[in-house]
Amino acid sequence: MFKKILIANRGEIAVRIIKACRELGVISAAVYSEIDKNSLHVRAADEAYFIGSSSASESYLNCNKIVNLAKGINAEAIHPGYGFLSENYNFIKAVEEAGIKFIGPKYKSVILMGEKTAARKLMKENNVPIVPGTTEPITDIKEAKNICKEIGYPVMLKASAGGGGKGMHKINSEDEFQPAFEKAQRESKNAFGNSDVYIEKFIEDPKHIEVQILADSFGNTIHLFERECSIQRRHQKVIEEAPSTSVDEKTRAKLTEAAVNAAKACNYENAGTIEFLMDKNKNVYFLEMNTRLQVEHPVTESITGVDLVKEQIRIANGEKLSIKQNDLFIKGHALECRIYAEDVENNFAPSTGQIIHHRLPSGPGVRVDRGIDLKSEVSVYYDPILSKVITYGSNREEAIERMKRALGEYQIAGVITNIPACRWVLNQKEFLDGTFTINFVDNVFIPLLPDKWKTEATEDYETAASILAAMLQNKEHEFKAAKLDYNSSNKWNDISDE
Amino acid sequence: MSDFIVTLNKKKRIIKIINEETVSIDNKIVSVDLSKVNDYLYLIKVGNKVYEITTTKLSNEKYSFLLDGHNFETTVRTNLKEKAVEYLRNKEKLTHRDEVTAPMPGLIVSLKKKKGDEVKIGESILILEAMKMENDLRSPATGIIKQVNFKEGDNVEKGAVILIIG
Repeated sequence: MFKKILIANRGEIAVRIIKACRELGVISAAVYSEIDKNSLHVRAADEAYFIGSSSASESYLNCNKIVNLAKGINAEAIHPGYGFLSENYNFIKAVEEAGIKFIGPKYKSVILMGEKTAARKLMKENNVPIVPGTTEPITDIKEAKNICKEIGYPVMLKASAGGGGKGMHKINSEDEFQPAFEKAQRESKNAFGNSDVYIEKFIEDPKHIEVQILADSFGNTIHLFERECSIQRRHQKVIEEAPSTSVDEKTRAKLTEAAVNAAKACNYENAGTIEFLMDKNKNVYFLEMNTRLQVEHPVTESITGVDLVKEQIRIANGEKLSIKQNDLFIKGHALECRIYAEDVENNFAPSTGQIIHHRLPSGPGVRVDRGIDLKSEVSVYYDPILSKVITYGSNREEAIERMKRALGEYQIAGVITNIPACRWVLNQKEFLDGTFTINFVDNVFIPLLPDKWKTEATEDYETAASILAAMLQNKEHEFKAAKLDYNSSNKWNDISDE
Repeated sequence: MSDFIVTLNKKKRIIKIINEETVSIDNKIVSVDLSKVNDYLYLIKVGNKVYEITTTKLSNEKYSFLLDGHNFETTVRTNLKEKAVEYLRNKEKLTHRDEVTAPMPGLIVSLKKKKGDEVKIGESILILEAMKMENDLRSPATGIIKQVNFKEGDNVEKGAVILIIG
């Protein structure tokens, strides 16, 4: 096993990886930027190295600095987490060339899956269903219009080099084609330095379903079933679950077979996720492959009992998969709520500040993966994700009830969070009966902003909050501070009096 | 004895603090027991019901509470203050003026209007970048831009008045 691993990330995922290192007896080396000096991932690691100022480009995105540091401290492997450098093939190549093991796929697999049209072509050749459309960038407008007519409007134009919604346009009829095409080309050129765009049929009200896979360096590839991640805002997932309520055995067989084919097609090694769209008739279409660990990996860990991060490290260490496909079963149901520092009512604006109070939920079936603790700074520099609450139950109902309880127990002060909005989703009919799609937040939640969604709080709660407000405001009132009973022989007395 | 008007979810409640253990809410008398766990956490018993409430003071008269996963923003004022605020609010309606303030600290990426321009309510005025995301700030009113306090490329603090519409 490796002696030391450098973790090229921050926040909850860095903490998650550090925990896996500790269980494997591997020394964990964290890196941190100026503002992260006291962050939880620094506190949790065995070693910590300062790598630059707070701006991500000076620190967590600084490829050379991180590779040189790894060499200098004799780290034998680098775990990239998600985001930052995790899918940057130049970084992966530099790590490989420095003789350090990258805990993830080979850079060639990342290149194969990074370019959208090439990936679509590869998938089609390997029996992975793709969204109807082109597998080459558009060169001839007349021919493109014919293709659109053939697959039927509405269609989507997407950037070949793209992601994040940039260069993406919906076209409802032929006369909209020309202007949309020109606009998509311009946007792609500006965003990615490449004006190639391609056509995909627009899938009406789909669900986002993805399949977790693991592959070792001996050609063994297994899947760990699906996750559903349709509750999204601004293309960011908020609530995920495993398994999906909408996937039956037949669809599951189709999805997982396609996912394993996709991974094999790009000679994939390590953990990866194949994302699909699923329409109302349970047709599934390949969307893209994420060549890294996902934020929502804990729901899969919960229902399969597999520690995905430890498995990643073992695979990178050249070991065979410790589990076989036939050993895997779906047991129970798991949910994850991503706790973001954001003001839902203010157009989901990020909320910044210092965490001044933090009490985690606990009890049966509750897990919290977090990047924050008391006194942590939540800044504008990085993702607004604070933590993830994961609940497990013997069935979906129990997992949901546990999530409601856990969110109710979770106390955070110092930043505004989306906890109340997550709670709201868990009580909605569409969520409970499983009919929700990727448009749920836009179609059902957003129209109720700013305050029409706040109908669940009981009169009792409002009364208690109102009384507290008045009593706090009443200057004459002396609070009876929580009284701790110490006797003189209590050895903790000195410390707690400090 | 002190009288307060508490506004929560657009509802107003009149709360009289009779003594440390007794309050009346909309003239209904209830027994209470309040203890402070730490600066941000209070335990309050109303009758025999127990509530643990995470508390942040937002200003002299505003508190944000988190109770069982629900968020409550409350405004609490003495009876006299409440009347004064209502009087001022009515007066303000006559001399109309709206401010566009930064909802979060960030960088002004683009400013689409200049002094003297007309704007319509809901029209996009500027793009503020924070946490890798672009936030579109829209006009809260229809009118003419009276004043612009920042330019493109400027960093702004939360709450900064970026421009004024009259």
